[in-house]
Formats: sequence, structure tokens, C-alpha cells
Amino acid sequence: MRLCAPALRLLATLSLLSLGCSWSRFSDDTSNAPVVLLQKPGKISGFGAALATTHDASGAALLVAGSAGSLYNLGTGDSPGFDAIDITYCDPSSEQCSASIPLAGLPSALGPGTSVHSPRCFIGGAGSLGGKNGFIVRCSDAVEFVLPMPSSPAQQLTFDLSVQQADDTSSVADGSADPSVLATGSTSRSVRDAWFYPPGLASFGSLTMPSDLAQALGTDASYGTTLAVLVVGGARIYAVGAPTSGDVLLWRSDGGTASAFLGCLGGVAGFGRALASGKVNRDADDDLVLSDADNVHVLDGRVLSTLPETSASVCSFSALPAGALLGSFSCGSSKSLSDCAASSFGASLAVGDLDGDGDGEVIVGAPGMTVRGKHNAGALLVFDVERPSDTLFADAKFLSSAEEGDGLGTALCAPHLADRDVIAAAGPSSGKVALFYCSSLLAPGKGGERCP
Amino acid sequence: MSSVRLRFFVERGGLLVLAFALLSLVCLHLASAGTSDGKRLEEIRSQMEKGQGFYVAGNYPAAADVFESGYKTYPYSAFLFNAGVCYQKLGDAEHALARFNEYLKVDPNAPDADKVKQRVGTLEAALAAQKAAAVPPVVDAGAAAAADAGVAPTPPTPILVPTADDQNAMKSLVVIETEPDGAPLTLYAPLDASAPPFRGGSPNPGWKAIVSTRSPANLTLDVGKYHVVIDKYRDFNPSETDIDVSPGHVHQLKADLSQGQFMAFLRVSANVTGAYVWLDDKLKQTPIWGTTPHGELVSSGQHSVLIEAPGFEPLLAPVTLSHGEQKEWQVTLSRVGYGVLRLDSNAPEFKVRVDDQPKGVWRSGEPPLDVRADAGKHRLTVSAAGRKTFDAEIDVPRGQVLPTHVKLMPKFGRGPAWTQAVLGAVVLGAAIVVGNESNRLHDQLQADRSAGVLEQTDSRATRGKWFAVGADIGFVAAGALGGLATYNFIRDPLPESTISTDKLLEFDDPMKARPTAQLPPGAACTERVAGSGPAREPGWPFGGRF
Repeated sequence: MRLCAPALRLLATLSLLSLGCSWSRFSDDTSNAPVVLLQKPGKISGFGAALATTHDASGAALLVAGSAGSLYNLGTGDSPGFDAIDITYCDPSSEQCSASIPLAGLPSALGPGTSVHSPRCFIGGAGSLGGKNGFIVRCSDAVEFVLPMPSSPAQQLTFDLSVQQADDTSSVADGSADPSVLATGSTSRSVRDAWFYPPGLASFGSLTMPSDLAQALGTDASYGTTLAVLVVGGARIYAVGAPTSGDVLLWRSDGGTASAFLGCLGGVAGFGRALASGKVNRDADDDLVLSDADNVHVLDGRVLSTLPETSASVCSFSALPAGALLGSFSCGSSKSLSDCAASSFGASLAVGDLDGDGDGEVIVGAPGMTVRGKHNAGALLVFDVERPSDTLFADAKFLSSAEEGDGLGTALCAPHLADRDVIAAAGPSSGKVALFYCSSLLAPGKGGERCP
Repeated sequence: MSSVRLRFFVERGGLLVLAFALLSLVCLHLASAGTSDGKRLEEIRSQMEKGQGFYVAGNYPAAADVFESGYKTYPYSAFLFNAGVCYQKLGDAEHALARFNEYLKVDPNAPDADKVKQRVGTLEAALAAQKAAAVPPVVDAGAAAAADAGVAPTPPTPILVPTADDQNAMKSLVVIETEPDGAPLTLYAPLDASAPPFRGGSPNPGWKAIVSTRSPANLTLDVGKYHVVIDKYRDFNPSETDIDVSPGHVHQLKADLSQGQFMAFLRVSANVTGAYVWLDDKLKQTPIWGTTPHGELVSSGQHSVLIEAPGFEPLLAPVTLSHGEQKEWQVTLSRVGYGVLRLDSNAPEFKVRVDDQPKGVWRSGEPPLDVRADAGKHRLTVSAAGRKTFDAEIDVPRGQVLPTHVKLMPKFGRGPAWTQAVLGAVVLGAAIVVGNESNRLHDQLQADRSAGVLEQTDSRATRGKWFAVGADIGFVAAGALGGLATYNFIRDPLPESTISTDKLLEFDDPMKARPTAQLPPGAACTERVAGSGPAREPGWPFGGRF
């Protein structure tokens, strides 16, 4: 026993050390993990139906659409707030509001009757605020105001609110510091109206199309469900998709509420299924990223801006100038990813400068992707699109704990941190919203602790 | 024992002879009388030998006194004659004549009466001449020669009648007794030294009967060889023997008339008390002659003596005995070259191996197992089910039995050790599996982290933690169980099996074994009873000998 006691103490000490090592090495793995799952508020349903982000000097914010919008403060670094700081965006239980999908994030907004811009605002939905109907803008300083709508969607909104039914609205903003907002809303007609708010949001301007085209899209309820706003020089190019028809309509506004119809791209099944804008190439202008049933295309925004105003009602690519197409790519598989055919590749799109090199990478959602044998777990494929030949994805993101039916990639956005963008992806089926902080495109050491 | 025995003692002097005489008397149921006669005879002999001693030393007056005294106490004529010889040596012719005449008077039929008469006549003539010549007394021849040589006259010197041998001038007393008394006997003397040995039933021309009488007879005889013949007496057989009479001694001859022959006395003693002795029976077909030490009258001649004792090599040797010889034969028996281990144990059953050779099985209730082995060191292995095997060197005694008690200790149960070992192996296996799974998960997490897809809440991390912890605990538990099992495999709180030995025993003596059943009349000793095992040579275990 005289020898046993020290031996037992040594054994116990070694055991505890071993236990500690075993425990800590897994903690080391998951502490500062490259993927952060945001904490879903308990009472929110449909969490992750849409995502919107904006940022200012204080950091990025992320609005996650659900039965009510949940706001997360992502900060400027890689230490986001896991828990929502506000879960009452367009909360039908507390206000008359119907969530917009997609959502628009605004770095700041100037409410009516104020002279001070409120930071980090989101258009959470359309509803009634203070007796006024329209898009409800809420900022992080709790300032809320309403953006008025054209009369037809406004009437529909009023009706929907009165009968307490969802009102179909969509909104998207460009990524500039003083963004313009592109919005659509249902009307009594079968086709939505599309309009835009020029920077400052003080008013809105209509986006009209040739009557023949309007007639052709008159039965396409998908019109206006996908939107993108490109900042090209001092102008804005508004892209409105009609995925069912496979068309994308383009307008340009050089300021104010006036706009010019630039034409209709399309004729391909599912074209315009998702739209996104961002700086893909190295020029200072946004580029348009759009997907069809199988592929994703990147159109040079600067080239698009050269399109003349037209009244042509034919939707095709024939009007595209040479060099407009920066690249096209399709789904790809890997050891962990499979089943491209059912992947819904291109269901969502985003452009983000993931590697902080100044140009953006195209992030493509594939919510039907099979991840490590988990069907419909969903994944994100990242395309660098530095050259037209870059048709293969440069990176793939998915949840390490992917589960069947997660549907990750149904919604996407690219929150901006101090020196780069990260990916925010949602899988509303499972209510998962994840932030992907790292990319294989990142230079070593640039990703912080989360990206070894 | 219906035959009549003849016993014969020859007294040559010494206590042993007397002891044999006493022994013979006891055999004749005359203990009290024999003892008395023995004492008397001893005293006579003592007197006789005392006088003889003085005589030989030249102390004739002392010798004469002793003989005179002896005669007064024990009126045997030999004393008278011897005293006369002493006086004659002293030159006291008168006293010498007086004693010789007295001798002839008390023993007129003495065999040497004529010789004594001649001696008397010579002395008387010498005495008369002395008186007549008034000269110094007669001296012996030596003294006369000295005178003739012109030597100065010396004081009167006693006249000494020359004899063949002064040392042999002493007469001895010969006592011849028989049982029963009254047997006629004749004493023969050789006519001269060249007479052939006396042969019974022959004419024996060189011999002359000098005395015929009946026993008991007390004879005063000169030194010399004689032959005694006891004639047939009633229904007893005749008997005879030689007798060699030495000077100045008392000889006793005692004949137990039986088979008509003179006996010798053989006493066999050995370094082993109680050894069995067979006389003239190599095949041991007759009862034993005796056990050592054993002495008995035996017929003279050549005999074979077989001596056996348990644990000793048998000794067979010839012995030659002459008439009346008393032979003390001391033999040394040597131990046989093997011994016996007499094994028993506290175990209900055990097996014995000696030098890896099986030697038998012992079961509780049976007598101890005797294992024979050559004397010396051997490896003894005793094993029993469920008990620790005893295995050690043991020294087998030579020709003796070593009672050996084997204390076989139970084997310490290894059940807990096996349980711990198996449990430890299972736990170790589980720990390895779980540890591998933990490592696999860790590798996955690392890969996912490298790929930038790892969540901070990845459930695999939790699983991996617990697997790792489980593996660590498993390894520790397996190690502990392994250590415990090893300890319990090694640990043995029970002492080793031991043996203890008792004092060495002699081999069993089959002669003393009591029969457990009566054999039916006529049944051979080697008859086997079913199931009783092979027959043994009667009485002799281990191959027919001790």
C-alpha cells in the first residue's frame, strides 16, 4: 500500500491530464470554429426564409426573415453575436406587417422629418405604421418609418392587412453607402408592380415595361420575386426577374425617379431564378449575377449599363453587347457534395469579397445538394470568376453537422466585416442560419483565429 | 521336542565359561542347585588358578599355602598333589611326601597313582639317603652338577625330583557331569604324543583307559590330552569328546545326554538387534533359529547361517564349530540401497512422481502410500487436483522408511483475476474502439475546420469529447483492471505446499505381521485372492527381502 498510494495518485493525475487533453482538443476544434450557427429565437418560425445584411462603421448586421425578422449584430470581426438583438422586425403579432422576401438592408436611412440618418436599417416587410401603409423601415436606433408604395400595391397591401393575409412584397437594396431600393409588390392584377426608391428614399419611381412585354408577363406571378440593384457609375441598374418565364428585365436610372427600360434578357428556362449584384470583376461597378435552371451567369454591369433604352418586348440575349458575360458555371460535386441534379443549384445567389481582394466571389446556393450522404442538406459553392475560364467552384461550404433536409443555401447574403465579406446562409427547413467565416481563397493568416 | 539332548561344556577358565555353565544349568531346570555348584566350582577354580599363579611366579611357599587352603575347603586330591609339588620345589621332602601320600590315600584310583607312587618312592629314597649321610639335603640335579664343578658348598638345597616340565607339574581338576547323573564314563589318555586321534568305536591302540567311573566324576589329571567316552546309559545315546587339560586349572565337562553327540555353542550377534537368524536353512523353510543376539548349543561341524533384518542386506555365511567350541560370531549387516517414502496427505487424493516417474496414487482412507526409491536425493512431486503441487528434492534414506506428510495447499482461485482480465480486455477493446471513433471524429473536425465548414456547435465535437473521455476512462479502467488482474494472477496469499517428515522408521517386519484371515488348510501361501493384487513372497516385501 505504501507503493500503491503514490502510484494511484500518479495514475489519477495522468488520467485527469489525459481527460483534460481529450476534452480540450475537441474544445479547441470548436472554439472559434469557422462556421457560426446563429441562435434561432424560440418563437420564430420560418427562420431563414430570407437574409439581408448591411453594415456601417460599427459593424455588420444581419436580418433573418421568419415569422418575424431577427436582427443579429455581427460586428466587424469574427466574434458575432450568436443571439438575435431584435426579433420584432415585421412581427405580425405586434404590428400589421407582412414580411418581404427578399429583404433590403440599408447602411443608413433618413426618416421623414428627421435630418439625422439612422444606422443599419432594414426593410423588414410591408405593413402599416402610424396609419401609413408601405414598406416599414426599422433602424438599429429603433427609428421606424414607412416607405410609401405605388397606389396599386398599396391598395393591395391595405386589403391584405385588412383581411390579415400575407402581402407579397419584395425589396432589395444595392450595396452602396446611400443605396437605392428596388421593390415589387402584388397588385390586384396578377402581375406585380416594380418600382424603385432612389438614394435617399424620399420618393419612388416606377419601372415600366413595354405593353407587349407587360402583357406577356401578365400571367407570370413569379415576376418581381427576384430582384437586384447594380450600382454602375452614378447610375443604378434594376433587374427584375420572372423565373417562371425565364426573363430578366432591366432598367436604368441615372438619378431621381426616372428610369429607362433596357430590355429583357431571357428565353432560357428558369432564367432569373435568383439575382444578385456585386462587384465581381475588378472594375468599380456592380455586376449582375443570375441563375437559370442549371447555370449561373455573371454579366458585367458596366457593359449592361451601356444598353440603350428600348421598347423591344422580346426577351433574349441577342441584345447583350459583346463582353457582357463574365462567366457561366454550373454545379459541381466533391467528396462531400453530390447529387447536383437535385441540388437546386442557383436557388440563391450572393456576391461577396470573401478573400478581401477587392473583387467579389459569386456564392451560389444549392439547397438540394446532398452533403456527406445527407439529402437536401444544402451547400454553397463559391466561384472566384477571376477569368471566364473559372467555371469550377473554388470553394464549397456546408454545415459540418449537415442534416437531411436542412436546405442550406435557400437564402444567402454576404455580410461585410472589416476587411472582407463572409457568407451568411440559411436553411429555413431546419431553421439554421450559418455564418461561414473562412474561405479557401483567403490568404493564410488573413482569416483570423477562425481560419487557421 | 521329544529327543534327548546332550550338552557339553568345556571349562577353560574365565567368566564366560561359567556363564555358559550357568546357562546350561538353567536349561536343566536345576537353577538353584546349578548356581550353588557353579559358585563352588568357581571358588575351586579361583583357588586353583591362584596357586598356579604363585607357582608359575616361583613363589612356591605361597602356592603351597593356597593349595593347602584349597584342599581344606574343597577336598579335591589335585590340591594335595599340587601342594606336594610345591613342597618338593621348596626341598621340603617331608611335606611333599606327606601330601603325595595323602593324595594316594584319598584318591587311590587316580589314573596317575603309579606315577605318584614312583614320585613318593623317589622322595622317600632321597630322604633316607639324606638322613643316612647326614649330609645336606638332597638337591636336584642342577645343584649336584654345581657341586661337582667345585663350587663352594651351599646351604642344603631341597631335593627336586626331575619332571618333564615344571610348568606342567601342576595337576588340574576335571569335573565331568552328565544329565542325568550316573552315566558310565571312561577317560582315555594317549600312550604317547604320537597317538592318533581317538576314534569312537575303534580299538584305538595308542590310547589307554585310565579311569572308568560314573558321573559325576571329579578327576585330578595331569596336563595333557584325554578323551572322554560316555557309554550308552539307559535310553540315552553314548557320547564322547576330547579334552585338553592345562596345568593348575579346573575343567568342567557337562553332558546333556540327548542325541548322543557333543555340542558346540554358537552365539550370533549383529549390529541390528532382532535380526532373524536361520541356521542351515538358506531357503527359510523352517522357523527362525533366533533373533540377534542369539546363542544356542548347536552340533559341531559346518553350518550355514542366514541373517536377515528389515532394511538390511541379508547375510549368508558358513560357520564351522568344533566340539565344545563356544563361538561368538559378530556380524555387521549393511543397509539395503533403497528406502521407502511413506506418504500421506491432507488432500483427499494425490499422485506421486519420483524423478518424473509415476509412483502411485493415494486416496483418503487408505494406508499411507509407500514409495520405494533408491537411497539418495530424488525429486519428489506430489500433485492433487485443486492444490498446489509439491515439487522438491528429498533424501531417501538407506534401508529405512521416511514417514512423509505432504501438506498440499489449495490453489488460490484465479477466477477474479480472469474476470478482471476479461473485463479489462473488453474495456480495453471498447476503449480502443471509442478512442478510434473519437480520433476519427477529431480528424473529421480538423478536416472540416481546415475546409472552413466546421460549426462551433457541431455535435461531433460533443460526441468526440465524450468518446475521448470514455476512451480515457476505458484505458485507465482497462489498465487498472489489467494491473489488478496481473496482481491477482501473481498474488498468492496461500503458502506453498510443504512436507514434514517424522523420525525414520525401520521397514515393516513381515514376520510380525498379523494375519488378517486364516488360510484354509492346504492353501498355498502364494494363493491370490481376487483383487488382492500380486502375491508376495511370504513375509518379505519389496522383492522377497527386507
